[in-house]
Amino acid sequence: MIERTVTVVPEDGLHARPASQVVEAANSYDSSVTVGPAGGDSVDASSMLGVTSLGVGSGDAVDLTADGPDEQAALDELETILTTPES
Amino acid sequence: MLGNPHKTRTIAGISATPLSGLGTVRWYRSGEQPDPAEISAADPETEQQRFDDAQAAAREELETERESTRERVGSEEAAVFDAHLQFLTDPQLTDPIEAAIADGAAAELAVDEAFGDAISQFEGMDGMMAERADDLRDIRDRLLRLLSGGERTDLTDLPEGTVLLAERLTPSDTAQLDPDTIAGFVTMTGGRTSHVSIFARSLGIPAIVGAGEELREVREATTVAIDADREVVVANPDAAVREQVTVGRDVTVQEERVETRDGTEIEVAANIGTAAELDGAVDQGADGVGLFRTEFLFLDRETPPSEDEQFESYVDALDAFPEGRVVVRTLDIGGDKPIPYLDLPEEENPFLGSRGIRRSLGADSELFETQLRALLRAAAAGEGTLSVMFPLVSTLDELTAALEAVDRVASDLDNEGIDYAKPELGVMIETPAAVMMAEEFAERVDFLSIGTNDLAQYVMAADRENEAVAELHDPQQPAVLRAINRAVEAAHAHDAWIGMCGEMAGDPELTELLVGLGLDELSMSAVTIPAVKANITEIERSTAVDRRDRALTKNTKSMVNETGNQ
Repeated sequence: MIERTVTVVPEDGLHARPASQVVEAANSYDSSVTVGPAGGDSVDASSMLGVTSLGVGSGDAVDLTADGPDEQAALDELETILTTPES
Repeated sequence: MLGNPHKTRTIAGISATPLSGLGTVRWYRSGEQPDPAEISAADPETEQQRFDDAQAAAREELETERESTRERVGSEEAAVFDAHLQFLTDPQLTDPIEAAIADGAAAELAVDEAFGDAISQFEGMDGMMAERADDLRDIRDRLLRLLSGGERTDLTDLPEGTVLLAERLTPSDTAQLDPDTIAGFVTMTGGRTSHVSIFARSLGIPAIVGAGEELREVREATTVAIDADREVVVANPDAAVREQVTVGRDVTVQEERVETRDGTEIEVAANIGTAAELDGAVDQGADGVGLFRTEFLFLDRETPPSEDEQFESYVDALDAFPEGRVVVRTLDIGGDKPIPYLDLPEEENPFLGSRGIRRSLGADSELFETQLRALLRAAAAGEGTLSVMFPLVSTLDELTAALEAVDRVASDLDNEGIDYAKPELGVMIETPAAVMMAEEFAERVDFLSIGTNDLAQYVMAADRENEAVAELHDPQQPAVLRAINRAVEAAHAHDAWIGMCGEMAGDPELTELLVGLGLDELSMSAVTIPAVKANITEIERSTAVDRRDRALTKNTKSMVNETGNQ
């Protein structure tokens, strides 16, 4: 399992499009991926309900974990989504 | 049978047609969902399959909506459908649904409870979290609708003697009804000029609309009577009521043309939407067709009707009235009617948007040209006289462009050596602008036709479908009456004939006033033709003109209405 902490850049935080992108990405890897506020409880990143219920806003720090064969790639993609401003 | 099956219950509504009927209740569950808690579950395997099917169908709908939103609005807005798709398959929702189903719950209840729990998590939170609750409600309702959809009544094949009860019926619902087998329908919503009422009149189906919430108390399979005279629906009617609604109120059909007692001939024609309604129009003694709403040729299909297909329909109508006239309205379509092959924009207010002639001269100019080709060919091939009119004209430029389009099509057909004839051409008077420009229009065309439903709607700024403003939406409002009078005078000043094809034309109580106003033709739902023809033969034109003069001096609707009692 690998772990990483990133600061959420998109204006909407973990809602709307960024949330959709996180869920879509998490579902596309074999590894199990979690997301949660830094130091807090994490949820399954492949659940839209879980991700949006976190109430994470722009500028908040989140902990990401991934565990599985493609954990490195999974975390890289999630980090990209969470640190790229919305166009 | 549930509840108290023998209790007689009388519910007031609005008679959409002058027809009464008696039959057996069949509820149409389209817009409303049954209470999920009251649905009995089949075995878990079946319920799971039902949920899987509903989920798959929801996915398909959402993907379609996402694509059309992406094309028309933008990819950012379309992203909400991505979120919905993810909620739809979210294990945090589907796991409890599947667990509940395995425990013996019906799919509806499982969906309702799982979403209910999730919604309550988000409810009461602010901003973006509250929006998630709305998203979840949307998805839940979609699934519940699809779950009940499998049991939706097929309206094309109802048993003989069915009285269909519904919260609301859309025009395409109503169009499916077979007047030969259905005994009638009753809706909770709607008014006399709603599309559903117009369809009922066109099809000759007994119908009560606007019956309200109380209608829900009437159970499936109850015997009900529709009493058009009392404007009520009666559940479990007694013998007296049964007899009243089943004894035919004979109105003699007059096939010949009629005139007033002092010899003014008034043409009485039928409004139709499809060629299927031609027989009914002939049976009721129509002199011709005063409004052929061609948009129904274009609805409920994947591609537009071809020139030849349209040609056939128009010729059929002309052949049905070899001695008469058939007035065809060119395509009148806007954002309120979904047509898959047209790129109809979503508009804030489709009734004030791009519709009627505006689209025909713009986005739909090719369709318009095809329709004109079919019409000009039909004018030469059919037996009766063809007249063509343009809807929602509000400027002279629009009329000029439409007339030029006809000339262009005529010269094309000429060059191609195809047989054609120029029909009579006319303009619909539906907007205040058209009333103000009626003189200029009448100079350039053969006839005008007043669409009173739209004219009242636009003059009074009162939505014809909105019961709350039904008082305003009334052709007896002095403002509407004066607009009609102005249009008639403009037409006659320029030797154009003028007809009326709104619901007002078919109201037997107003026939005298309309004759007094000087209308040359009245076009209405076929079922009201015998009553109106009978009235005309009893009217003295001079008396009618007096009534018009009195009505035009009145300042309020009620005073106008009273002129009918003097």
